[in-house]
Amino acid sequence: MNADKPNLPKTVGIWNKLEPSRIINPENIFKYMNGAGELYLGYRFRHLEVFDYTSADQGNILVELYFMESPDDAFGLLSLDWGGEPVSFDGAPAAISDQYFTAPGRALYGGGLLRLWSDNMYARIMAERETPASKEAVLALGKAIASDNQYPSEPALVKLLPLKIDKVWKLRVDRLSFFRSYLVLNSIYYLSHENILDLNLSTEAVSAPYEHIAGSGDPQRSQFLLVQYENPERARQALSRFHDAYLPGHQKEKTAETAADSPSIFKLEDGWLAYKLIGKHIAIVFECPDPESARAILQKNESRLLKKGEGS
Amino acid sequence: MKDKMPVLTRRDFIRGTVGVTLGASVFGLQWPREEARAAATSLVTVVRDKDAMDSAKNIDTTVLEKMLVETLTKITGQKNTKDAWLSLVKPNDVIGLVPTDHLNPTHDEVVDVVKNSLMDAGIPEDRIRDAQSPRNAKKCDTLIALPALKAHWLTGIGTVLKNYILYSGSPSRYHHSNSSRLGEIWNLPFVKGKTKLVLVDAIYPLCDKGPQPDPRYQWNYNGFIAGTDPVAVETVCLKIITEKRKAIRGEPWPLSPPPICVEAADKVYGLGTSRMEQIQIQHYGWEHELLL
Repeated sequence: MNADKPNLPKTVGIWNKLEPSRIINPENIFKYMNGAGELYLGYRFRHLEVFDYTSADQGNILVELYFMESPDDAFGLLSLDWGGEPVSFDGAPAAISDQYFTAPGRALYGGGLLRLWSDNMYARIMAERETPASKEAVLALGKAIASDNQYPSEPALVKLLPLKIDKVWKLRVDRLSFFRSYLVLNSIYYLSHENILDLNLSTEAVSAPYEHIAGSGDPQRSQFLLVQYENPERARQALSRFHDAYLPGHQKEKTAETAADSPSIFKLEDGWLAYKLIGKHIAIVFECPDPESARAILQKNESRLLKKGEGS
Repeated sequence: MKDKMPVLTRRDFIRGTVGVTLGASVFGLQWPREEARAAATSLVTVVRDKDAMDSAKNIDTTVLEKMLVETLTKITGQKNTKDAWLSLVKPNDVIGLVPTDHLNPTHDEVVDVVKNSLMDAGIPEDRIRDAQSPRNAKKCDTLIALPALKAHWLTGIGTVLKNYILYSGSPSRYHHSNSSRLGEIWNLPFVKGKTKLVLVDAIYPLCDKGPQPDPRYQWNYNGFIAGTDPVAVETVCLKIITEKRKAIRGEPWPLSPPPICVEAADKVYGLGTSRMEQIQIQHYGWEHELLL
């Protein structure tokens, strides 16, 4: 599925589109947005098209259309922040499931900024000044961008995560993110300034906290991370590197042969960490309050993975 | 594994071993230990006015002028702006103004107010330059850093120390683990010792997702944060950003990745202090959501 170039209106409300649009590609993205470009290059970025809508006295509206290699990449960009008011355009499915993750919305609005995922496109439409009129214009532009596009499903990997673990832990779906880059991972959950999990554009990863359901006071959370590599050997190598970097001094308790049986569990400064190699996947959980919780979170995720035939 | 270089990880921040690991890996030298420093403190002023910018983002330059007067006189201890400037710069200096030019840029009005104030102090207009490029900075005797306050998704914070990144000639070199090295740019021969004032435009800061603007994480702070110690100013900026994030989520929401460049600027590059106990914060004006 590929989003066609949307047919944006020449005028929306009191805003007029400037011609021509600007095309930004991987080679000149840093010139356009400095270090922010690393974010888009951390997904499979094709190009960006930028439109400016100007008004006499109500500020401008900036439209940025990021064309990505796949819908998964576009989803990943939206998944970095589920905050904002969900916006539904005609035809957009409002799929809700209590069995697996579904996106809280395909378009989210807040403070004058609309972010949306449509096919393989991620869009940012931002009003310089938020007013009722500019909001109306931003939403109209969003609708124009999303019209006639398909509504692909979320990446398969994110749907593997169980929403609950033994009625004790619940997945914070509002903090679930899909990514491929360790830089993006670090912006979600800092692990290391080095790429200790060998993440790259061929890997897929999802991370989210599990929150203790019965907890009172400060919420107790454990961060879960699932990475899918090209093949089991890549996954094994990555896990070995992760162990060496993150757990120096801790013996590798399991060999590759026995790792399929039970997770490796370690007591660290911030709680219990457990990891497991599952075929071409690595599952890791951080900051668990006890080894039982760590084991339960990993095992439930593993069984979902195996059930879906993803364990090899 | 004993011969492998240690890797900086989350665990170092929890254990308080960032310095040891960075020293042995990124810097290839021992992180200087807590040496006996002079007891001197660095002064950082926070001057705010609720009318500096309105909800429609219109800037009132008259208010900015008053804020600048307050900032300059408090930072220098002088009675008026002319004396304040002349205690920081020499009348014959070529002065370079270094605003942030891109993505949440320094407001033009801030740059104009500073420039006009320098001219009022007797500095000829042709001796006040834009010094964002290394080429222009090399021609300057003095630099006035005018960054805008923002979080940065690659380095944690992207305000004071990052403001000179173009001087490196290769900004992307500082994007990853090398962001801890941002302080070295301030010690380049054509930069070292030239910065006489750091004045942060904290009128409409960004506390997440920077440098791309996201209005959900921007707010009217309507302030100037200033000092002569760039690390101390950055540390105060960090505090404000961190407190705002906590206020938004209602629970601690640490910057990610952690901004290691700030501590490194202090302990490796000796640019100033990142220790709050060595920073004297003086705030004036609007106190609503001061975040300090």
